[in-house]
Amino acid sequence: MNEVKPKSRDTETSPPQTTNERRGFLSSAAAITAAALGGLLGVGPLAIGLYATVMDPLRKKTTPQKAAGSAGATGAKEGYYFVAQIGELDSHVPRRFTIVADKIDAWNFMKDQPIGAVYMRMQGEQIECFHTTCPHAGCAVSYELESQAYLCPCHNSSFKVDGSKLEFSGSSNPSPRGLDALEVDVQGTNVFVKYEDYFTGRHDQVAK
Amino acid sequence: MFRKLYNWFDSRTGAQASLEEALYENIPGGAKWRYVSGSMLVFAFMTQMITGLFLWMHYSPGSQNAWASVYYITFEMEGGNLLRGVHHVMAQAMVCLLPIHLLQVVIEKAYTKPREFNWWLGLVLMLITLALGLTGYLLPWDQKGYWATKVATELAALPPVIGGLTQKLIVGGTDYGHFTLTRFFALHAGVLPGLLIGFLVLHLAMFRKHGITAHSSPHRPDQLFWPMQVLKDGIACALLFAVVVFAAIAEPVELGPPAEPTEAFGAARPEWYFLFLFQMLKYFDGSLGFNTELVGAIVLPAVLVGFMFAMPLIARKKFGHHLNVTVIVVIVSAAVYLTWEAKQEDNYYLNHPDDTQSAPYKKSKRFHEEVGRSEKEFELIQQLVKDYGIPLEGPTALQQRDPLTMGLRLFRRQCASCHAYSHEEFAIAGPASPAATSDSPGNYGAPDLAYFGSVKWIRGLLSNDSVTGIRGERYFGKTLHVAGEMAEHVHETLWAAAETEADRQALATQIEQVAWALSAEAKLPYLDYAANQEKIDAGIGHLNDDTLGCIGCHNYGDNEDGYVIDLNGYASVDWLTKMISDPAQTGFYDGGSENDRMPSFHSEATKLLTPREIELLVRFLREDHTLLDD
Ligand code: FES
Repeated sequence: MNEVKPKSRDTETSPPQTTNERRGFLSSAAAITAAALGGLLGVGPLAIGLYATVMDPLRKKTTPQKAAGSAGATGAKEGYYFVAQIGELDSHVPRRFTIVADKIDAWNFMKDQPIGAVYMRMQGEQIECFHTTCPHAGCAVSYELESQAYLCPCHNSSFKVDGSKLEFSGSSNPSPRGLDALEVDVQGTNVFVKYEDYFTGRHDQVAK
Repeated sequence: MFRKLYNWFDSRTGAQASLEEALYENIPGGAKWRYVSGSMLVFAFMTQMITGLFLWMHYSPGSQNAWASVYYITFEMEGGNLLRGVHHVMAQAMVCLLPIHLLQVVIEKAYTKPREFNWWLGLVLMLITLALGLTGYLLPWDQKGYWATKVATELAALPPVIGGLTQKLIVGGTDYGHFTLTRFFALHAGVLPGLLIGFLVLHLAMFRKHGITAHSSPHRPDQLFWPMQVLKDGIACALLFAVVVFAAIAEPVELGPPAEPTEAFGAARPEWYFLFLFQMLKYFDGSLGFNTELVGAIVLPAVLVGFMFAMPLIARKKFGHHLNVTVIVVIVSAAVYLTWEAKQEDNYYLNHPDDTQSAPYKKSKRFHEEVGRSEKEFELIQQLVKDYGIPLEGPTALQQRDPLTMGLRLFRRQCASCHAYSHEEFAIAGPASPAATSDSPGNYGAPDLAYFGSVKWIRGLLSNDSVTGIRGERYFGKTLHVAGEMAEHVHETLWAAAETEADRQALATQIEQVAWALSAEAKLPYLDYAANQEKIDAGIGHLNDDTLGCIGCHNYGDNEDGYVIDLNGYASVDWLTKMISDPAQTGFYDGGSENDRMPSFHSEATKLLTPREIELLVRFLREDHTLLDD
């Protein structure tokens, strides 16, 4: 059979005379152009995707998901959120307050959402205010009446009622710093807090 | 006919040659059971691809939809639990098989020249698999996945300069939200499996190029891959699948309550295979001055992985292979130890039931309480979903209208520092001990509010039993009122006057009737007042006739001379709302002068709770579990 009708495959795949063209991979202008084109073809869509999608969050403001503080009271300074009335603060025990504000999550706008929480108490004339996020790795601390300390449920970090690190023998405290203190602004009886998220795991308190 | 068709197919595709090429690989020393680990990993990955694709068909990323869709897959779809279970268990099987495969390669010295590239490809595959595990954990968007993954992405921000940027890119902003899910999903279902397939192809090609590491042995003849090794691989994979299916059925995969960014979950733990990394963080406590957390979370793991990449090069040196084996054994043992230690810490309170005062005990107890709380919250949301379905705004919107879910949360946060709630089903502990608060002992708590306003509750209030009565812990025992007029009246006037057994019987009956009359003011949804109308009528009579001496101090009906605790509408919605909002108003503590420590939760000066939250709490206390409508 072969003699009568050779396999089509043989004629199609047997290479033409290519020996001199194979000498170097990038020996001619055509080869270089072809290689560059091949590379670009892959990079092109990738670059568009990286720029448009992956980098999108970088182009938003530092706190893209929180709209201006609104609920509860007016008169907030830029970046401050209403959090409580001064009569709600105790002078011994820190109380946890939720911060309510409008929130933007990607394509959704939501009114009056809880966006975070703080602990506050009166210290003489001053208001002490701490972020509830553990500066170690971002779990949420809670104030435990029984031990009179802020305890983190994750890696044993604990903090005194004044926010400083609590060290006691026999237990490690991996947090690199004390609880993050937040700036407070009192107007009349309204307490506003400059609520920001901070990078965890660093010695200094740096806003995200 | 068939033969002809086959010849035509083969001549066009060369299938036969490829198949032969694939199957007739020589195995020096013959087929062995211990060569199955690689095939099992490939099979496991295939299972993940297939089950994953089917999960994808019904999964929807996004903060409102993710949990809802996973809930649907797990609980509403017939066989969905098995599908998700197999995906879940097989992922863990993969993570178990990885170190076995790796250890085999190390022990057989198969990572050395000329197979360096294959070792490196294998390590890349391992890292991709772990990344798949990490990204998959977040997708159900439940409390557990949310809070555990949060720790992981926080750690991503640790490296100087690029850390913050990296974190933002992974999370899709500074906060968790839609983009976190869409990104994690794209990684989990697209980017990572794609990369894995690519590297797997290279890994296998490289494997075929170099062949199996074993050497021919005079005792065992060489064999071809087909059929003996394929049979062994097949049996091993079938067994693996059977075990995985069995495990998925025996222990149905869990789903936690939906993620709630401001409702911190105090029992966040990563998947067990990351637990050693989690535990390791505790050892880097910053005491050296520089950022040791960075070392524990990133540098050390990176150095270890770097070492593994360098192993083929190290092996060239004298004793290099021995060094490699030693280090690998140390790493594996350390990982096992740290995992064990993490489990030990979390279970400390179960293993040391007597050490109640120590910090590890308390921490572990809290951990278990949080686990229990989360299970309870899941049961509640499951019931809500059954009763109402999941609204468009997501499962948390449903929770926020539920008096039970929210009541438990609000009570724990706002009330439990004074009040206990010893309900049979939903108990919340009150304050721990007098010494632990800043107030003086004897004045550190408040009445137990479980079944408040019920006949049982009021009966107890009017009892002189030292434990269960008015001066006991459940009523005024932890308050200033323990020495107040009310307690004195119950002890010194009512019960002291009942000298004979018959008197006491009569008093108990009157108290029972008054309790019914008062509870009828509350109209609690769980008591049958109609069936007890006689008692109620008798009780109303006693109150009006002042049989028990109530209306000297309390308002009731026509009597308006009372100055504390109005008994009209006692424990009703309106009464409770007022009491919680502002107990300083008239009708409660004589304008506040008789108030021990009950704060105002919504008054001119304080807005600790919103009216909505108070409404939820009131319904919770009255065990009225109808959803709040808005
Ligand atoms: S996150 Fe708080 S101790 Fe690690």
